[in-house]
Amino acid sequence: MTPYRRAAWAAAVLVAACVAFLLADYVVAATRAPREAGLVKSLQEQLKSDASLAPNLAAEQKRITEARLARKLRDRWLAWVLIAAACAFLASAKRSIRAPQPPARASISVPSRDRQGAVPRPLTEPPPLDLSFVDTAIAQHGRTRESAIPLLQAIQTHYRYLPDEALRRVCELTDVTPAQIAGTSSFYAQFRRSPVGKHVVRVCHGTACHVSGARQITEELRRYLAIPEGADTDPSRTFTLDEVACLGCCSLAPVLMVDGHTAGRLTPASARNALEETA
Amino acid sequence: MSRRAVEIRVGLGSCGIASGAEAVRDALEREGAVVKAVGCNGMCHREPLVEVLEPSGRSILYSNVDAPAARLIARRHLRRWHADLVGQASTPAAGLQTRPEFLEKQRRIVLENCGEIDPLNIDDYLARDGYRALERCAKELSPERVIAAISASGLRGRGGAGFPTGLKWERARAQADPVKYVICNGDEGDPGAFMDRAVLESDPHRVLEGLAIAAHAVGAAEGYLYIRAEYPLAVRNVRAAIRQAGERGLLGSLRLEVREGAGAFVCGEETALIASLEGRRGTPRLRPPYPVEKGLRCHPTIINNVETLACVPWILRHGAEAFAAFGTRSSKGTKVFALAGKVNRGGLIEVPMGITIREVVDDIGGGMKNGRHFKAAQIGGPSGGCIPARLADTPIDYDALAATGAIMGSGGLVALDDRDCMVDIARFFLRFTQAESCGKCTFCRIGTKRMLEILDRLCEGHGRPDDLQKLETLTDYVSRGSLCGLGQTAPNPVATTLHYFREEYEAHLHEKRCPAGRCPALIRYRVTDACIGCTLCAQACPVGAIAYRPYEKHAVDDTLCTRCDMCRQACQDDAVEVV
Repeated sequence: MTPYRRAAWAAAVLVAACVAFLLADYVVAATRAPREAGLVKSLQEQLKSDASLAPNLAAEQKRITEARLARKLRDRWLAWVLIAAACAFLASAKRSIRAPQPPARASISVPSRDRQGAVPRPLTEPPPLDLSFVDTAIAQHGRTRESAIPLLQAIQTHYRYLPDEALRRVCELTDVTPAQIAGTSSFYAQFRRSPVGKHVVRVCHGTACHVSGARQITEELRRYLAIPEGADTDPSRTFTLDEVACLGCCSLAPVLMVDGHTAGRLTPASARNALEETA
Repeated sequence: MSRRAVEIRVGLGSCGIASGAEAVRDALEREGAVVKAVGCNGMCHREPLVEVLEPSGRSILYSNVDAPAARLIARRHLRRWHADLVGQASTPAAGLQTRPEFLEKQRRIVLENCGEIDPLNIDDYLARDGYRALERCAKELSPERVIAAISASGLRGRGGAGFPTGLKWERARAQADPVKYVICNGDEGDPGAFMDRAVLESDPHRVLEGLAIAAHAVGAAEGYLYIRAEYPLAVRNVRAAIRQAGERGLLGSLRLEVREGAGAFVCGEETALIASLEGRRGTPRLRPPYPVEKGLRCHPTIINNVETLACVPWILRHGAEAFAAFGTRSSKGTKVFALAGKVNRGGLIEVPMGITIREVVDDIGGGMKNGRHFKAAQIGGPSGGCIPARLADTPIDYDALAATGAIMGSGGLVALDDRDCMVDIARFFLRFTQAESCGKCTFCRIGTKRMLEILDRLCEGHGRPDDLQKLETLTDYVSRGSLCGLGQTAPNPVATTLHYFREEYEAHLHEKRCPAGRCPALIRYRVTDACIGCTLCAQACPVGAIAYRPYEKHAVDDTLCTRCDMCRQACQDDAVEVV
């Protein structure tokens, strides 16, 4: 249980308590009111015959007034507490839904050319990776140096990025050297060495899209997803924004692709909608 | 309920799917129609397309179809009572009659089957004389005769450089090495060109047949198709086609394999492509030796573009003369262009060589969108150049285009209107080539970087007095000091725009002004008196630079404005102008 979730629970309990108290108070007051009115009325009746009862009536009226004022004050304070608790609940519940993803894996010594984004180095040990796929891929694509690119492509398709453990396994089992992997994986734009967000958004920046306003689309999406300067993934790691050279749908410019689904003839607003539909 | 024997085709190429053709297909199928999934017929501006072939042979093309329209179309053609009851007029999408204007001036050789056959069904291709040319090769045409026919047809490489295909094959044939390779280059990285994707997706067997004929001509037993990984549908369709052709034994002893490109523009260059196939970084090497002498794994290799190979079966079926009948003295046949940009009708077009740019833009493209003026045609992508409107009568021909400073290139044709800034266009292409430069040659690696810095400066209004001279010098150095086509042609967009639109560069440099109103740093948005105070712009502004003041004239706060253009797009009264 994350601290946010604990806070959300506490706030929820407080909200429920406040509501219960207010309701109870109201019910008590509501049932007491006719009785008190009756008492005052009977005292007033008695006063007509016996003037000495006047202080009694005054005292009774004072007591009732004070009780009601006290209740009003109490309820007002409680209402404020209720509002604050509700706010706290909403805030912490929202954060606990967008729970922080498992920490990102670090890239090994090899520098890479692709826009890595500001991926924080992991503080905890990442969960071990299932490497059996690598063995299958090697069986399928061969062990020669020539199979380096198809292997990397298969690994990237499976894990959605190139995990270091998988690359090490490739080097162990095939003729491909670490130097070759470092060279090819940093040369080709397709390969990434850091994990991607849940959805990959490719905004086309081909010629036709450029003249139809691809820049505005990208800027709007960066703003909308609150992607920090220099990074390509939003803080919650839901969307990775990628600028690509051409998606080949020039007549529908500007175009973007969310996880293989293409949307065309975009405006900044419809680009946002295309993302919302996915999320 | 009586059903008439009709064929219903839905264009399910990448752009069809992008505009919602899958929903249309599902809607048609729910109505009980048997849908034939075809590729792209090139009319991308009208997608999704549904074509209905009636038993009489009449074809009706419905455009911009959505699911409800598809239901009506299915009912109209599949249920007679519906037509009798509701009448013909009820069909919402206007039925385009047999030959729309868009197709009027086109002549289809490469694209003849695109949008008409099911790419995943080999019988469809066979029914259209598919693999007949290859069959003839096996039976009667010796490799020498094939090469002679290709040479006589005048076919030149469609990938950009325009090297005569027959000559390439002949040289590879002459090599003594018993091991030879054929490669189909489908690494179409040029932003704005998608003809190879369309052909591979819509008619993969044609490319396989062309490749098999090439293998027969040069004596190769192994072939590769190098296809961009960004084209998943093309990869899938080609793999399926190889499997089908193999099952039917059509490819003989030829072994074909698809290799996916990994996203490097330079791999369209043949020596870089070979490096990539060998599992290395895709850097080009010095030629000679040419790949036809020492290519893949140091064996003779021919590398042909998808479109070139797609022409080959047609040439052998119809004869070299029929192909050579199209075109000009030096450029024969047809060329496929990806027409895009500000034209009304964009899409994939195939025109005979020699047609003028004006005919393409006005007659096929239907003129410019929103009645704006045609300013220039960007042809050939990042290696090509911008041809201004006053040279629009230039015929499409390898040599005539080269004379203007542009190149034929792979066939991207982007029409630009008066709202497009030429400096920005040059910067766009240079940014692309600069990012895609493999870094091997110093001039390409650093020269393009310096040129880009100058263009960035100009677009931000910080140009220095000698920047234009510097650009010209660098243009010369980079094109002379680079090994491969990427570097040699990288300065072309700058050189042509600087040559034809020098005044725009000067306006950026001296007056700090962008005449087309595109460069964010040099423009401001202003609300004119036409403003009716509807607050649409204030609502659209993502940064709150326009205060929300109903029924009053709005104003843009320049310090907050990011020049995203959303206010101008939102305004219904054209009250937001760029100054």
